[in-house]
Amino acid sequence: MSTVTRHALVAGETTLREYVSTGVMAVGAVLFLASWAVLFQWVGERTPVLGVDLFTLFGVLLLAMAAGIAGVGVASRLGHVSASPSASAGLVAGSLFGGIGFVTGGLVASQTLGMGTVGWLAVAVATGVAAAALAVVPREDVGSTLPAALFLALVGALLVTDTLGLGWSWSPNDVSATFVGSVMVPVVTIAGSLVGSWSAAKARAGFGTQGREAGAFYLIRLSVFGMLGVLTLLVGFIVKNGLETALTNAQFGLDGHLDLPGALFGVALPDWSLPFVDVQVPFVTNVSQSLYVDVPGLAPAILGTLWLVVGAMLFAIPLGLAAAIFLAEYTESRLFRQLVEVATNGLWSTPSIVFGLFGLAFLVPRFGGGKSLLSGQLVLGFMLLPLVVITSYESIKAVPDEYRDASAALGVTQWQTIRSAVLPAAMPGVITGVILGVGRIAGETAPLLLVYGGPPFASQNPNVLSSFQFTSSPPFVSNTALLDAGSALPYQLYTSITSGRLPGQGAPFTVQDFGWGTALVLLVVVLGLYAVGIASRLYFRNKLYNE
Amino acid sequence: MSNADVSHQSTPAPASTTTTGETEETVRESWRTYDVTGEPAVAVEDLNVHYGDDHALKDVSMDIPEESVTALIGPSGCGKSTFLRCLNRMNDRIKAARIDGSVEVGGEEIYQDGVDLVELRKRVGMVFQAPNPFPKSIRENVSYGPRKHGDLDTSLLSRLLGRDDAEAEEALVEQCLRDAALYEEVADRLEDNALGLSGGQQQRLCIARALAVDPDVLLMDEPASALDPIATAKIEDLIGELAEDYTVVVVTHNMQQAARISDQTAVFLTGGELVEYGDTDQVFESPESQRVEDYITGKFG
Amino acid sequence: MASRIVERFEQYRSRNEDAALVLLAVTALSLVVAFVLFYQQSRWTVVPVAAFLVLTVVGWVRYQATVARGLTFVMTVATVAVLGLIVAFLVVRAWPAFEQMGLEALYRTEEPLWKPAKTTPWSLAPMIVGTMVTTAIATVVAAPLGIAGALYISEIASETTREVVKPGIELMAGIPSITYGFIGFVIVNRFFYEAFQTSTIGNYFTVGVMIGIMALPTIVSVAEDALSTVPEAMKSGALAVGTTNWQTMKSVTVPSAFSGVSAAVLLGVGRAMGETMAATVMIPHTKGFADPVYDVFGGVGETLTTVIAFEGGNATGRHIEGLFAAGVVLFAMVLVLSVTAQLIQARMRSKYGGDR
Repeated sequence: MSTVTRHALVAGETTLREYVSTGVMAVGAVLFLASWAVLFQWVGERTPVLGVDLFTLFGVLLLAMAAGIAGVGVASRLGHVSASPSASAGLVAGSLFGGIGFVTGGLVASQTLGMGTVGWLAVAVATGVAAAALAVVPREDVGSTLPAALFLALVGALLVTDTLGLGWSWSPNDVSATFVGSVMVPVVTIAGSLVGSWSAAKARAGFGTQGREAGAFYLIRLSVFGMLGVLTLLVGFIVKNGLETALTNAQFGLDGHLDLPGALFGVALPDWSLPFVDVQVPFVTNVSQSLYVDVPGLAPAILGTLWLVVGAMLFAIPLGLAAAIFLAEYTESRLFRQLVEVATNGLWSTPSIVFGLFGLAFLVPRFGGGKSLLSGQLVLGFMLLPLVVITSYESIKAVPDEYRDASAALGVTQWQTIRSAVLPAAMPGVITGVILGVGRIAGETAPLLLVYGGPPFASQNPNVLSSFQFTSSPPFVSNTALLDAGSALPYQLYTSITSGRLPGQGAPFTVQDFGWGTALVLLVVVLGLYAVGIASRLYFRNKLYNE
Repeated sequence: MSNADVSHQSTPAPASTTTTGETEETVRESWRTYDVTGEPAVAVEDLNVHYGDDHALKDVSMDIPEESVTALIGPSGCGKSTFLRCLNRMNDRIKAARIDGSVEVGGEEIYQDGVDLVELRKRVGMVFQAPNPFPKSIRENVSYGPRKHGDLDTSLLSRLLGRDDAEAEEALVEQCLRDAALYEEVADRLEDNALGLSGGQQQRLCIARALAVDPDVLLMDEPASALDPIATAKIEDLIGELAEDYTVVVVTHNMQQAARISDQTAVFLTGGELVEYGDTDQVFESPESQRVEDYITGKFG
Repeated sequence: MASRIVERFEQYRSRNEDAALVLLAVTALSLVVAFVLFYQQSRWTVVPVAAFLVLTVVGWVRYQATVARGLTFVMTVATVAVLGLIVAFLVVRAWPAFEQMGLEALYRTEEPLWKPAKTTPWSLAPMIVGTMVTTAIATVVAAPLGIAGALYISEIASETTREVVKPGIELMAGIPSITYGFIGFVIVNRFFYEAFQTSTIGNYFTVGVMIGIMALPTIVSVAEDALSTVPEAMKSGALAVGTTNWQTMKSVTVPSAFSGVSAAVLLGVGRAMGETMAATVMIPHTKGFADPVYDVFGGVGETLTTVIAFEGGNATGRHIEGLFAAGVVLFAMVLVLSVTAQLIQARMRSKYGGDR
């Protein structure tokens, strides 16, 4: 069929087009990162670079990108460089450039030229339509480069001429924020570098279908890079700011010793004193508030989180696992299974604060009317329940039927089959799911505010084990620690935000530093659980594949 | 050539013990010099494929003549599908695959740096074992390739500007459906979803879809294995007609089918070896290798 | 129907010893009694609980198979009952509040707006609007980035980068909400206050962006699941006619997985809507309506979740009932999203016949 066009099967040498486009993309990447550095105030906006102001340099580089892009596009159109462009850049690119044109034209008209509403609207529509037409009507190599180059050139010119610079500010009437130069310059530079790099990515791949792929993949990769960047920044901030607090007055040495009373073993040994590593981290081992500690610590919060998690697991794992077994192995009614699935998914997506309300209405009045550890444990258990059911159900279902058949063929009862063949095979998945679920509830705060959160800075640790008492009247057993309100790591982080300062005098750090330290410890606990969960999943999966 | 080394490797096939290395060598020489009239459409030289530790294809070399039907037969797991997927580099999708050797399509090496996979697959079309039409209308399925390549512009924009290729598309769709012997059956429902067609119709639609890109070579991976006898017969007739314009390479495990439709036949046996390659009549009536004879007469495989 | 149940029960009885069944019935009964007593706030709750434990142990030793089946059934019912209990308690506690205001609580815009009291009218409308505004901002941030991330992981990334990116995104989901909130409170809010000279520390914009980032991992992982259910044969079919990977994604993969991807977005929106802690510590907690509504930098800020978390700890009387009403509205909104997403996913699953 004559409609099909053919291009070279094998690409030749690297061409001028590719060199220029790669250069433009590199400049774009530098501008992108530099602008974020300015926004994060890692680099002062007045830093002189190579003898010029930073923002002027941004402008110059944007102009250079504009020249490069326009050059490649025009050269391709005139046939000086090889490429395989489509007939048009397409409606998507057209509406994108139309939008940029509209915003740019409107802002320039209203802010720089000082036009009224009618005036700027007219200019905005005109520039928008013009930009869209410039993108859509000509061949793709011009349509996807020239509008981008014009935008970059305009932004670059504004920066170089200092029209948009440190002295610039804009307070729109109907938005209660002021946009100032020190923020908006990096923002428009980021926008410019994105548009320019996208255009250059297309040009580098020679426009056409491959160019579109290159442009799209460039944006997708950038989004993923941005997500990982956010993650790195979050973790980085917390570690950087929290480490000093967490290690206040900490001691690490090799001069510690471990006392082994020989009498303990029931033999006549001398009391040994073994040399041992000496580690003291008061921030982790002290209580949060006391006359006798100089470094307020997290011990009540850490122990509180521990007891909450243990209680939630004791409640949720048997219940959830049993439900999953029944669903996967026993029930034959599809309706019933669907009902349970809808219910568990509903529980999973229920907002945590709603669980808190439920605890407040259902549990709190029944455990002495006040906030208590037991309510916290049960509420977190309710939240853990759907995760346990879902993950256990999936991993039990993933056990191949051959296991069941093999066992059943030996004349073993259904329950014995489940217990001896199905559950052991499903256990890795269940364990992984539980670990990930625990990681989730360990960081949960909202329900604790309603059912568990005690004083902002606890002065004693929860003593669950030593508080059991037998009483002569029902309920016969009592445990005051279980019925006390207390603290937990995420709750502690919340109170360090809401309380203006640390209680008492003479703490070596501010309440905000205390918060950073708490965030670090919380992160270590939660991410530690996640890392263990993910690692165990990879381990079991590899084991499965290698067998 | 290191073919000799390979041929001495013992294979589980019982027949290999009866064939000496020497005769095996002469057999290989004879099909290497197999008379290809004119330029070969596809020339394969020392092709090796590994999937991880698994050596799936061993030193395969063959020239495929143009405008003819070449059948690849052999027992399952012999590497014939792997070989087929090397010809348009669909094996690149499998991350663990390692491919060495040379494949030339139309005189150009496809395993070298800078090869444009999109362009390669336009020249070497493929039809898969199970029909895999897109969940779109019949028309869109056929015109999918040319549209995506920009050869047919029916986008919203070009329609707005009044420069779309609706007529060209109409003609192309009709032509390809006729070439795939499907037009009469679907002429009045081109806008219906392709998933509503029967299996045989879907497979012919997939052939039409491949033809619309105007390939030089058409690869077919057991195109009739999922179809009933009547649909199979239609596909077989179609393959014969296609060979007038295209170079068709078809994988099949059905020896009668290979004998019916192909001009030349290549026999792969267990372990990824190409054991015999020649005119179909000759391969089926007087194969040179004992192993091939055993396979064809049903003694093993 | 009834006769079938009787028949099934007869079958079940014939397969098990009568003693085991009686034991099982008593065990279940003791659990029910325990719940009833607990509901009554009785101090005697401990007796049936102890009975349940003892009976379970006895049954486990004597009739393990029967008891195992029975117990797992009881536990399944208990799991479903939890959702029922949540709904029931929310509605019961919120009932007086709705009785006072009727549905006007949802749309009333005149002062006084807050807080609920028996004698003055009040309204949830500012919080509903606040939830919608922050959720909308979050969706704008999270939906495109999340879909891009899912495409990257399922279609573009090489094996090695996937091994880095996927756990990375999962870790992002693992960081506790309050940690995001702390960073937002200490760094983002302060930056906006200084750089944009906003009237308050904290506003809808920063909250929306932050909960958008927090909803990202949900969208990425659910959408990636959906994309990977598209059969490889269909992608191969597109690639074999010589289209680029991007064209294949745009015209085959994403349209085929469209329902799954939109379910992912819905679930992400639900997450953003129910997000509590980050919003609670970042938002200024002033009730009112921004004027105009797109003034997301303004001084007003309160959502359904934040008002419950911020005031719930110390509220009493009609105030707490009003907060329960907020909880009911929130729960209903999230449940609608979640059920819609599940329906879409179920349809997608039946379309490709996969059973995952």
